[in-house]
Amino acid sequence: MKRFILLGLIVSSVFMFNPKSFAQTVDEIITKANLASYYAGNDGRSQVTMTITDSQSRIRTRGFQILRMDVQDGGEQKYYVYFSQPADVQDMVYMVWKYTDKDDDRWMYLPALDLVRRIAATDTRSSFVGSNFVYEDISGRNLDLDTHELLASPTDVYIIKNTPKDAGSVEFSYYMISIRKDNFLPVKAEYFDKQRKLSRVVEALEIKDIQGYASVTKSKATDLANNSNTVIDFSNIKYDLGLEADIFSERYLRRPPRKWLDQ
Amino acid sequence: MVRSIITIIIIVLIFGFGSGNAFGELQIGQNGLTVNGFIENDFGLKLGHDITKRDEFNFFEQRLQLKTKTYPEWNSLLEQWMAKIEAKADFTIDEYYNARTNVDLRVLSLGIAPADWLDLKLGRQVFTWGTGDYLFINDLFPKDYESFYIGREDEYLKKPNDGIKASFYADTLNADLILIPVFEPNTVFDGQRLSFFDSFQGGIAGTNSDRHIIAPAKTAENAEYAFRTYRNFESYETALYFFRGHYPSPRGYLNEMNRELFYPRLDVYGLSLRGPGLGGIVNAETGYYNSRQDEAGDNRLIENPMFKFLIGYSKDLGNDLSLGLQYLFEQTLEYDNYSKALLPADFVWDEYRHLNTLRLTKLYKSQTIRANLFVFFSPSDLDGYVRPSIDYDLSDVLKLTLGANLPWGEDVHTEFGQTEHNKNIYTRVRYSF
Repeated sequence: MKRFILLGLIVSSVFMFNPKSFAQTVDEIITKANLASYYAGNDGRSQVTMTITDSQSRIRTRGFQILRMDVQDGGEQKYYVYFSQPADVQDMVYMVWKYTDKDDDRWMYLPALDLVRRIAATDTRSSFVGSNFVYEDISGRNLDLDTHELLASPTDVYIIKNTPKDAGSVEFSYYMISIRKDNFLPVKAEYFDKQRKLSRVVEALEIKDIQGYASVTKSKATDLANNSNTVIDFSNIKYDLGLEADIFSERYLRRPPRKWLDQ
Repeated sequence: MVRSIITIIIIVLIFGFGSGNAFGELQIGQNGLTVNGFIENDFGLKLGHDITKRDEFNFFEQRLQLKTKTYPEWNSLLEQWMAKIEAKADFTIDEYYNARTNVDLRVLSLGIAPADWLDLKLGRQVFTWGTGDYLFINDLFPKDYESFYIGREDEYLKKPNDGIKASFYADTLNADLILIPVFEPNTVFDGQRLSFFDSFQGGIAGTNSDRHIIAPAKTAENAEYAFRTYRNFESYETALYFFRGHYPSPRGYLNEMNRELFYPRLDVYGLSLRGPGLGGIVNAETGYYNSRQDEAGDNRLIENPMFKFLIGYSKDLGNDLSLGLQYLFEQTLEYDNYSKALLPADFVWDEYRHLNTLRLTKLYKSQTIRANLFVFFSPSDLDGYVRPSIDYDLSDVLKLTLGANLPWGEDVHTEFGQTEHNKNIYTRVRYSF
């Protein structure tokens, strides 16, 4: 037993002192990036303000809070999105049970009708609440849907090309993603359309350390085709709140869990 | 009264803009009781001709909605029970009835959670359950069909009840029990605004309709109960339902000579299932309607027991286009007894009814334009109802709607056929705050 520990120490010190010769594989990088962007802590809460600016500089705003709970790190998750702005969507709730092996389950609660509606979730590339972000930007894209290729590794980022396995299911031909080496947060994603022209850019504009997790607190999605963009500001971020699974159920669609929401 | 409230609100809104709140919310008091709502104007140009009160329009009103909520903490018990008080009221000026004003209290409720496994909601509130889209089998809660047919927002299809809802939660099973002490009927056509089939008039009637609808007495034995128990099996939602009360629409003749209709007693037993399937969402729901005052079906004056079954499918087709399809089957039970009991001059309803619906929704321009088409079509009744609409969000607060209500039918006495003279095209301008 002692020998194994000793061996382990030697092996790990070799890794530590020779990082370049033991470069991470692309699968390790994207797996870590996925965990860093979508799975920080066991759960989390954030207040979100979305500012959508269209090509004519008209501005629309969305305000909501997100509660997230991980069922397995890197796997199943539950999301609870509670809308506060604009006024006509106030108190609406959007709930997702995210899976990695099948379509997500999604519900929408409409308070004026006291109606719990089930939403078909096949098109994860559609716009999230009319913004330049798509559903997959918010809750993550399944890593198995693309092939990943490490193209370059300059000093501070990994540059990875991602090509969809099923080209017909998405609007892009491939996307390039830059992942920071120090904290594995993706800082830029560039989507190229079917003509291989740059069409959409998602960037992290601000990163802060919150409870030891590097967290994106401001990000921007720009649509080059129609010259519109959306800026997301995340505030009041908190991790490891101790959320319970039953929050993500019909009961709390009808009665938002005020204990966990920052009202 | 209503006019002055609306005027005051408009003034507050206009001058309130300077205060820098991007959403123009109204703040009352320093501890932030927030009031939200909207003001809207609606106009519905009438396309058909009949003998209702007006022939040029059937929908013309100004509406102000105010709503607020608060979490009372002045009592330690209320705080411990996570109490929530909600209130919502609509103030309307209805030009159809010569600028008649009305206050409609839609919500005034207290919600509490006295135990981990129990939520209670008391007071005026809207109740909804079931899986259908504009089709209701186990949701026997009151609907306002007048609102639906003239083009008011979907919110107004559902009428509030005064009642108590107790929700029980356990690991394996959840249940809701609703008690409605005083019966609240559907709002059905009365011939003033919308024409309909009135058997006493022998056809489509308007202001000439002189029938009386007698509501059940406000007694303990006329209280209504609705029960649902439900649980999820992974992605599938299942539910069992029971309802004891009255038909929400007048389905029985109390006294033919006096032209009196009433709401017969009704029990409904049902179940539903909803979950992923065929690349979309599939739902199925069924209900057995036990017409308690005509269980044998041999009373020609009261609706027979019925069996209803619904299956639906919705799918996201991509590019912000979605599709919804439904099929509803209704069978009048004890039909032989019904047929035998009929008198020669009676109108005859079919044993079976088949109804299909289609919903297509397409979003344009970053989801600021929503084009929606809903179609009812019954191949057995040879009638239908087309409801197209376009919503355009000019900004976060200003929304325009253009829509139409186009019912039609081969016969005058079917559900949609009777309403075919009420076709309209309507517009709505809504400012939310």
